[in-house]
Amino acid sequence: MATLPKTLSKTPSFSFPTTKQWVNIIIKGLFYGALIGGALFFLFPLAWMIGTSLKTIQEVQQAQLNLFPSKAQWENYDKIFHEAEFYRAYVNSVFIVTMVLLGTVTSVSLVAYAFSRLQWRGRNIVFALMMGTLMLPYQATLVPQYVLFFELGWLRTFNPVTLPGFFAGGASLVFLLRQFMMTLPKELDEAAMIDGANPLQIWWFITMPLSRPAIATVSVFLFVGQWNNLLQPLIYLQRSELFTMPIYVAQKNNLQESPIPWQDIMAASVLFVIPVLVVFLLTQRFFTESITLTGSKG
Amino acid sequence: MNLDQLGYHEQNLIWTGLTVLFIIVTSTIVGLIASFILRMAGASEQEQRRAFWGFSFAGPWIVGFLIFVLGPAIASFYYSFTDYKVGQPLKWIDIENYRTLLLGEGAHGRRFKQALFNSFYYTIIGVPLQIMASLGMALMLNREGFGIRWFRTVYYLPVILAGSPAALLAWRYMLNPNGGFINEALKRFAEAFFVFDYLYRGFIYIFEGFNGFYIGITRGNPVGPLKYTLPAVIAVLVLLALLGEWTRGKRSLATRSAELLSIAVAYNMMSIGLVSTRVDLSWTYFFGLLLLALVIANGAQGKRLLVKVWQIGGLSMVALSAFMTLRRADYALDNPDAQKYLIALLLVAAPIVVSFFGVWDRRKLQMMGGLAVILVLIILIRVIPGQLDGDGLRPIGSYLTFGTTIKDAKDVDYLEDIHPYEYLSVHWVYGLVILSLMGIALLNNYPRQRHYLLGGSLAFFGLLALGSFLDGQAYFNAFDDIAKAAGRPNYHFALFHQVTDVFPDKDRVPLWMNNELWSKPSLVLITMWSSGAGMLIFLAALKGVPRSLYEAAEVDGANTLQKFFKITLPMISPAMFYNVVIGMIAALQTFESVYILRTTQNEDSLASAAYFLFVRTFRQLSIGQGAAASWILTVIIVTLTILQFRYSQWVNYEV
Repeated sequence: MATLPKTLSKTPSFSFPTTKQWVNIIIKGLFYGALIGGALFFLFPLAWMIGTSLKTIQEVQQAQLNLFPSKAQWENYDKIFHEAEFYRAYVNSVFIVTMVLLGTVTSVSLVAYAFSRLQWRGRNIVFALMMGTLMLPYQATLVPQYVLFFELGWLRTFNPVTLPGFFAGGASLVFLLRQFMMTLPKELDEAAMIDGANPLQIWWFITMPLSRPAIATVSVFLFVGQWNNLLQPLIYLQRSELFTMPIYVAQKNNLQESPIPWQDIMAASVLFVIPVLVVFLLTQRFFTESITLTGSKG
Repeated sequence: MNLDQLGYHEQNLIWTGLTVLFIIVTSTIVGLIASFILRMAGASEQEQRRAFWGFSFAGPWIVGFLIFVLGPAIASFYYSFTDYKVGQPLKWIDIENYRTLLLGEGAHGRRFKQALFNSFYYTIIGVPLQIMASLGMALMLNREGFGIRWFRTVYYLPVILAGSPAALLAWRYMLNPNGGFINEALKRFAEAFFVFDYLYRGFIYIFEGFNGFYIGITRGNPVGPLKYTLPAVIAVLVLLALLGEWTRGKRSLATRSAELLSIAVAYNMMSIGLVSTRVDLSWTYFFGLLLLALVIANGAQGKRLLVKVWQIGGLSMVALSAFMTLRRADYALDNPDAQKYLIALLLVAAPIVVSFFGVWDRRKLQMMGGLAVILVLIILIRVIPGQLDGDGLRPIGSYLTFGTTIKDAKDVDYLEDIHPYEYLSVHWVYGLVILSLMGIALLNNYPRQRHYLLGGSLAFFGLLALGSFLDGQAYFNAFDDIAKAAGRPNYHFALFHQVTDVFPDKDRVPLWMNNELWSKPSLVLITMWSSGAGMLIFLAALKGVPRSLYEAAEVDGANTLQKFFKITLPMISPAMFYNVVIGMIAALQTFESVYILRTTQNEDSLASAAYFLFVRTFRQLSIGQGAAASWILTVIIVTLTILQFRYSQWVNYEV
């Protein structure tokens, strides 16, 4: 409504829109209608998740169209907050994500630095090799990795889930960071070199601080991916004390209960989704920026 | 200090510290080795120092690559030839795992076959839908306006949730057939107005019909004459596209389709031929002829790199086959059966070896053509009589009768008896398609002969398509009678008939996850929910399309559709290519959604190849077979990726 006086002041006398303007208005209305319809489709499962988590078990079993219950059942959350497994899974997930984030970001930035800021013989070959691994499906190495960790006696520990990240896991992340580091001016490195700095110092004192936006992007991607990661924890952790949030939620589903307690499952899901949602909403511009960084030339 | 007394987190911290130390030491060693090698090679002091730093910095990745990628890849290749259970000694069982999986033998082989077909469904149906959705979204959001930024965020939101069990479970609850939100909403929608009701039921009808059809043809039952229809129809379609004025584009269409078909046929033949205990000798010659034709066709067009690829790839295949033959005969050269095959392989390899010498001029082409004719003569003399008599070509002839051969159940038995190598006989038809397409491409400078070949082929394949289709109908009817008499369910199109015989009642609902007709489409629907990832890439590409192009087109009077197809689509083709490749790889690796959404009823109809691999390896602990499955999947993914890069001339990189 705030825009109304402005338009009025622009047009001295009010006149009905012409046919052409009417057509434009209708087209615009249809367009926004379609946009809103799409938005509903994309948001609905989330809303449904939240709505269900506040229903009673009787409501959940009925055929239903109403999104929210007549009376919100906060007890569903209370019940989860009293579960020891929930806290354990949350702590484990936070721990794993932190370790993976630390290790991967450090190692990936080191490798990206080598591929972007240093000139050395064999660089292009190693880089091509790294990009080639993107084509190799992870299934091909999954089995022997399992055997490797079995032989190391690392099954039922966090090690198989956190430690591979320290070896610059994820060629796509290296690529993203490298693309960004390529855009930094060369003169900075050269000046530091003349002052007697070695590459390690240049990496830490010059490249890393300047690459902060790209590192933030990589971290956000890693966080989301790792928080949702189900496969590796499922394969390696194998013990309820070590379970992460995805396994906890998935297990709630596998209970052979009848009727299925959907309200509990959805309450756990809401609590599981909240960190990712918060991180996404705070950092959503990084997602769009990452695309402009790598460019659209696939 | 005893590690076991510490908590899990503390233990992990200690191991982390050790790992970091390990990485620092090994990366330094990698750097030192690199600079040492350069010193040996006589490089300058500065270059050595640079190599040291470069390799040390890249060290974490290099060490990780060796430990987590290269080592495991080699190990899993080895495991795939063994019967291995964790904690037990390895048992070398040769190619048994591959045989089980590729030939679909036994319960596990059959389940793998079905899982592969499910994965293909996710790829063939899911990826195009996803790309269309993300392109549509990007086109809608590629403008400035009120709230557009907000819509972009919302449309992207599902991407960060899609992989998580939470969102998948929410979907599963919403898709509950009895009282789930989606079915309730659909019911209300249908009740609102009688036309909606018919639309709704029509939707269910078409949908179940399509999926019943897909499930029917993937069941692995013999499809009889109908299997010749597919190659014949492909041939007719390509040949129809070749009609009219002859251009360079048409020539490359002919060669490319021939090449793609050859690759598919060669892969199939090799994979079955290598693991099968014995295949007919004629396939060896046939394979050789195919290979030679590819070498000649590429040589005639001066594509030297491709010629090399086919020469070297073909010869290594021949070497591999020779090795397998010898092994089957326990390395005894005097085994007559092995000798027969080795001679055939030698005859196949000889022209390829000859093709290495000399440049591709007219004389060489004539000579190679002569060799090809000799190979054809060998096939005619040695192979065809046996084929006509036994298992190979005869069925083709008997299917060209427009439905008069097969009258009743007796004829079905007869047809099953006369071609035991049924799964291979269809390759003869593919071979004919390839040869005629290649012939048309090679007759580039002979318009009259080309026309004759084109018309003849068109007539032949058209008749074959029609004949085999009519015979296929008869075959199915006869088969249905047999199945009914024997009380066997689910033959061929039984499911299709079952769902299409009656129009859905008023109270029918989509069964979603609880039914094999609906489970795969449900998963595709859920994947489409997260189309935002592709949208973002399209958006970035759309931003790069210069406005001036549209303005120029508007001056020329182009309409919206023309602008979209002539400007937008070519300009964003790199993004399209990227999305296709990435989407295809992701679809073939589908795992999480299957794991979360499976139930006891839908497990088989939902299981993807990656899920099969997971179950075999980590639930049933059959690591050897899991490794074999992972390699088959890898070969499929890598091949499809390479093919997409090879056939990506439609991608326009000049902006």
